Amino acid sequence: MTVVISVGFLIPIPDIPILKESARNLFLHVPMWFTMSVCFAAGLYYSIRYLNNPIMKFDRKAETATQIGLIFGICGLLTGSIWARFTWGTWWTFAEPRMNLSALGMMIYVAYFVLRTAFNNPEKRAKIAAVFNVFAATTIPFLLYIIPRQLPSLHPGADGNPAFSEITAPELRYIFYPAVIGFIGLAVWLNDILNRYKTVKHLTDQQRT
Amino acid sequence: MRFIPIQAQEDTVAAADTLTESYSPKWDGTAGLDQASPLIQTAASYDLIFIVLGVSLIIWFVLLFFIIRVDKKVSKLEGEIEKANAERNS
Repeated sequence: MTVVISVGFLIPIPDIPILKESARNLFLHVPMWFTMSVCFAAGLYYSIRYLNNPIMKFDRKAETATQIGLIFGICGLLTGSIWARFTWGTWWTFAEPRMNLSALGMMIYVAYFVLRTAFNNPEKRAKIAAVFNVFAATTIPFLLYIIPRQLPSLHPGADGNPAFSEITAPELRYIFYPAVIGFIGLAVWLNDILNRYKTVKHLTDQQRT
Repeated sequence: MRFIPIQAQEDTVAAADTLTESYSPKWDGTAGLDQASPLIQTAASYDLIFIVLGVSLIIWFVLLFFIIRVDKKVSKLEGEIEKANAERNS
């Protein structure tokens, strides 16, 4: 996976830019959202598994996946904002539904962590957080995919203009797909590290009591 | 027989232009840049390549921040385990 990531970063140099050089952000900004979606989907999966079978392991995994997803989502927002300054002329615009709705989605997920801190009882926290996570994950496809496509937008891939199918020069795809796979692989790895940490912490906490 | 690949080729070229067609009237990022601050002007030079650099740096620093945080947590946990072991041995 690390090889895939480095290839994703190394290859961009000999490509042909469409509008300006900032078209290369396709390899960086777009995979952030793909990765975020994968992480949130994993979070949803583990939350449902927790509700089905209340083992703390599933709650830990759901929390970790959501944490990593939020990290990538924040990356996506920041990178989108800096790109917007130089293509749309402003850091943030309320004329752009995708930008604002994705910020709203991030807020919903920040609320997930705020909610978690509100409970001291781990079982209660896990259960309520899992229910909230199911709700949060169901809003994401609407906020990021369905509503922005219905509204006039500045963002590529809206307003009847497909983001990727026709407009993109085919050579961009050879870098884009490995980049997506690479970032998802990176997220899986980070997930694993954080999860192992949490498992060890849980075990030591148990030993002490 | 030869017509189809040529047609496909032309299609991709023509389609590649739809991005400019649909967005260039709406995107005014480069307009008014000469009045912008020197920092913004410098960032916009060399066909916006510094924006790509900035974007990759943002991703790098956010991930780095995250990794450092996890590292600190692990160190703290290590310290706790060592302390517990020392108490048990004494």
